[in-house]
Parts: sequence; structure tokens; C-alpha cells
Amino acid sequence: MGQAAIRLENVSRVYPGGIRALDGVSLHIEQGEWVAVMGPSGSGKTTLLNLLDGLDKPTAGRVLVLGTDLGRLDPDEAATFRREKIGLIFQGFHFVPYLTALENVMLAQYYHSIVDKKQACAILERLGMADRTHHLPSQLSGGEQQRVCIARALVNEPQVVLADEPTGNLDERNEAEVMNIFRDLHLEGKTILMVTHNHDIGRRSGSQVLLNHGRIVRQRFTA
Amino acid sequence: MLLRILARSLARRRSRKLLAVLTIWVGMTLVVALITLSLDVRDKINRELSAFGANIRVEPSAGAVPVRVGGYELAPRIGQIYLNEGQMEKLETLFWRNNILGVFLRLWVQVRVDGRDVPLLGIGAPHGSAAAGSVSFTPDSLKGYGHWHVKGAWPQADDECLVGVDAARELGLTPGEWVRLTLAGRTRSLRVRGIVVTGEREDGALIASLSTVQDFAGLPQKISEADVSTLTTPENKLAEKYRLDPTSLTPAEYERWSCTPYPGSVAAAIQEAIGGSAARVVRRVSETQGAVLIRMEGLMTILGGLTAVVCCLSVIGVLTSAVLERRSEVALLQAIGAHRRDVLLLFSCESAALGLLGGALAAVSGPVLGQGLVNAVFGGEAGSLGVLAILSPLLGLIVAWVACLWPVSQVLHQSTAQVLHGN
Ligand SMILES: Nc1ncnc2c1ncn2[C@@H]1O[C@H](COP(=O)(O)OP(=O)(O)O)[C@@H](O)[C@H]1O
Ligand SMILES: [Mg+2]
Repeated sequence: MGQAAIRLENVSRVYPGGIRALDGVSLHIEQGEWVAVMGPSGSGKTTLLNLLDGLDKPTAGRVLVLGTDLGRLDPDEAATFRREKIGLIFQGFHFVPYLTALENVMLAQYYHSIVDKKQACAILERLGMADRTHHLPSQLSGGEQQRVCIARALVNEPQVVLADEPTGNLDERNEAEVMNIFRDLHLEGKTILMVTHNHDIGRRSGSQVLLNHGRIVRQRFTA
Repeated sequence: MLLRILARSLARRRSRKLLAVLTIWVGMTLVVALITLSLDVRDKINRELSAFGANIRVEPSAGAVPVRVGGYELAPRIGQIYLNEGQMEKLETLFWRNNILGVFLRLWVQVRVDGRDVPLLGIGAPHGSAAAGSVSFTPDSLKGYGHWHVKGAWPQADDECLVGVDAARELGLTPGEWVRLTLAGRTRSLRVRGIVVTGEREDGALIASLSTVQDFAGLPQKISEADVSTLTTPENKLAEKYRLDPTSLTPAEYERWSCTPYPGSVAAAIQEAIGGSAARVVRRVSETQGAVLIRMEGLMTILGGLTAVVCCLSVIGVLTSAVLERRSEVALLQAIGAHRRDVLLLFSCESAALGLLGGALAAVSGPVLGQGLVNAVFGGEAGSLGVLAILSPLLGLIVAWVACLWPVSQVLHQSTAQVLHGN
């Protein structure tokens, strides 16, 4: 058995004001696993994701991703960890509005190591965005934006991909295409943790974690 | 890539950036204009003040020894020792020659009018400086007497004169009358053009052109004193120390003293240049000039400082809202792996570029406004200062950069997770 990709040890996150968004969660995800995190709105899914990408810290417990204890990193160390190991796909996309699709992807390369325009173009092409590279984010449809967001997350070849409701804003056709991309990533051996509250989508992943009121209520393996 | 981001960022979202540039431009224009004005104010005020009389008087060395009786300084005896007009050319060789605004030559002789002894003063300018040669009263020769109050008119020709107010009373003279002078058997008539109040020795004298008096007294080229109007620096502790005891200065202090145009050091240089002369500071004039200058400069400094502060505050205001608007952009950069210093670098470069542009524009408009101010207040040209062409963009850059530090540090303290996932 290899090193766990993701390990949560009795993790709690209490927000100021006393809201327990996560309450003593323990979780173990192997490398190469594809896990869907599901649960009703407000159950702590996004909070969990923020702990895994190092943007937030647990109030108690330990969060280990690829063996690194994220709770101990300062903001810059966490940024370094993210750009080296993690691909982030946001629910609201988020782009630098004055940079083109291609430039937004290249920006991730810039902070990771060096800018490689050919590689950035290649990944956009792979996601079917070859003819949209020079458009500004505002000139792209929701599905196109999501693909640029995925391209940016994948361009530095991360070991772990974290996605927050990646299909939440998409129509059925785009949803299916994005799911195909995730399936390909899974076949490539990436560790994927995907937040969704769509059960059909959830069933396509390897296993599902069900959250409710900040606790894991069920863990189920599909295949 | 950084350059590409900068170029894109500056090219798009123009209105915010234009506002920032505009703010810096206006602010820096005011600062530069005030700098232009304040650099010029000493020179201009000095020139204005020179109308209140010359601040240095040059006399033959024996004549300068003050004769004090019961606290009164008696006039040195008239008509014994003279300087030569030609000696004044030495002023042209002086280290401080560019500080000399005017030289006023004076010759005192004693004449008899109606059986009374009356002093006669000849006033004139050095030949070199009067365009028209040695003609009587030139504008140059009268410039130093702006503080004289003349009832009637200033003399125009060689046979015209002014009469001091006391002399006029004693001799019963009024403008338009002729006065007959006798000296060593020679006589000469002059027409009274005006009665003058000077508050000084001249109140008891007749005043004619220098050449007239030299001719009449048979003293060609001779003068008894020269008033020199100079641009000087207000006296400070060092100048005072020298004045109280010249020997108390250390060599370094002396060096500094002699390289600064204090009234005292300019007078010393003049005395050294003109053989057989004694130059002294006319304190009444130099101290007034000093006091006015110090106040003006203080005022300019306060105005300049306040303007700079207001400029900085408004730049901070504009940049703060421009940066806060981009919180989610900053959060995104951090989420995809930017360190805090990367974000700081990006915003610093952007602000610096805006500041540089605003400052560069101000380098053009500032001196224009400064010239306008100088023109409105004093009339005439402002000295142009080449350094401002570099200083202004640099200052704009620094102001903008400093102004962006605060909002950027605020944004870096935000919770990235909350900004990105806030729903
Ligand atoms: N920054 C925050 N401050 C306070 N409470 C928060 C904050 N973020 C989330 N919460 C609360 O924590 C709980 C879990 O939120 P979240 O993780 O966003 O749920 P989900 O993504 O599953 O909808 C909710 O009750 C939410 O109101
Ligand atoms: Mg959520």
C-alpha cells in the first residue's frame, strides 16, 4: 500500500461565531482514487476542499496531503505546495479578467515554473478550446470557461485535482464532456476529489463520501 | 510574463488607471509649481527688496571708522578721502559678481548756498552699466533709491537737482526754483525739481547727478562711497558668530561662511577686491530683507509640504479603491500559487508605472504653472530647473508606490478561501 494521497485525522473547522462547518472528520484517500464528496448545501463540502488546498486551516486535527501537514504551512509555503502538487477547479471559475484564456493558463505556468506557450496551447486544444485561446474570459460561455479553468488546473501536471461543483453551472452536454475529462484524468492515475450534489454525477466516481452537518455519515464504493 | 500581465492590465480597465494618473498628475503639478515658485522666491523677493536701499556700503577705509559720540554715529568727515570710480570695475571680478543687483556711486562735497554750508550729493551709476554713457540720471542710477519719497519730480537733466526736506526748509526752496551753489570760487545754478524725504543724511543735502558734482567740485572720477545692492542669504547662527567675533570660527566654519552669500561674507569679499576700501553691511536693510525672506520661505515650505500631503492622500484614496476592487484577482493569484511578494511586485510595478506617467506629465505642466505663479506674483521669468524633469517623474513613482503598499497589504491579509468560495 502506497502513501495516502489525502488523510484527515479528526479534523474540525469552527468559524468565528461558533459554526462547526466540519466536526471531527477522518478520511483516507489512496493515490489514484476518484472520490465524490456529496451532501446538502451547508454541510461543509467547500470547507473541506479549502482545508485540502491549504487556503484554510483546521481548528483541530491534522490535514495531510501527499504527506504534507498543511496546517503547519504559512501562506507562501501553502502557495508553493498548491502550485507544485494541486490542480484547483473553482465553482465560480475565477480568471484574471484582462488576460486571455491562453494567458490565464500561462499565468499558472508562470507561478509554477516557466511559461511554455506550446504546452499551454496543447492542453487547451485537448479540452477542445483551440479556437478560443485569444478570447477574454468574459467572451466565453460557461462551459468554455469551465474548460479553461480545468486547463489551468491541469497545465502543471498536478498529482491531486480538487474540484468544487465542476458541473454545477453547466448544461447537460457540457456536463457530460467535463465528466469525460475527469474519467480520462482518473485513467491517467490522478487523485481526484470532486464536490457535487448531483447523485448521477457522484455515481460515476470510484467512491462517494456523504457529509451532513460537518460529519461523514456514509462512505460508499461504487465499483 | 510579468511584463505581459502589466501591459495587459494597464491597457484594459482604463478609467480607474486614468483617474490615478490624473490624480498624480494634478498633485505633482502643484508640488512642482510650488518648488519652482519657492526656488525663485528668494531671488525675486530679494530684487523687490533692493528697492529699499542697498545692503552694503563701500567707503574709503579711513572714512569707515565710526566716530561715536554719546551713542550717535557721526558722519565721517566729508571731502577728504575718495575712491576712484574705476575701482568699481573690480566688482566684476568678484566670486559673488552674479549676486550684485546694482552699484550706486555717491560723491559728497560741501558747497555754500546763501552764505550757508550745505552738503551736495552726486548720485550715479558706474559708466559700464549705463547704456547711454555718463549722461546724468539714468534709470540705473536711480534704481537704488526706490525708498526715497519725492514731492515734485525726479531730476532728468544735469542742471536739475533734488533738495532734502530739511535743506529745503532751511533754504526756503520749492520745486521749480533755481538754487545757486558756490564752491572754491566757482558758481553753478541748478533747478529744483523735487523735495525728497529719505529719513537719512540726504534730508539735509542737495542732490544732483554724479557727473555734475564731479565737474563742479573738480573731482573727476572720484566718489566718496558706493552702495552695492546684493542678493544675500539671511543671516543664521554661523553668520552671527562671525559678526560677534570673526576669530571664533573654526577653519571649517570659516570655509562655510565665506562660501555662503551672507551679507557679511559678500561685504568682506568686496572689501578685499577694492583696495583701500572698507565695506560694511547696512543692517537696517539687510535685516529687514532677511526677516522677510525667512518668513516667505517658511510659508512656501509649509504650502509645499501641505500640497504634497494632500496629493499623497488623494493618490492613496484612488489606488486603495482600485486595489480593493481587485480582491478576487489577488485571491485567485494566491490560489494558483503566487506568493505574497509576487502580488506585491505586480501591484508595485503597476502603481509605479502610473506614478511615473503622472509625474512625467507633471514635469511638463508643473513648470508651466510655476511660471504662471511667478508671473502673477512677481512678474517676469521664473528660473527653470532642469532637475525637476527627472525629479517629478521619480517623485510621482515613489508617491504612487508608497500609496499602493497599504491597500495591497490589506488585501494580502484577506481570507483567500472566503473571497474565492464566498457564496
Ligand atoms: N467564512 C465563513 N464564516 C462563517 N461561517 C461560514 C463560513 N464559510 C462557511 N460557513 C458556514 O459553514 C457551513 C458549511 O459551509 P460550506 O462548507 O460552504 O458548505 P457547502 O459547501 O457544503 O455548501 C455553513 O453553515 C456556512 O454557513
Ligand atoms: Mg459549497
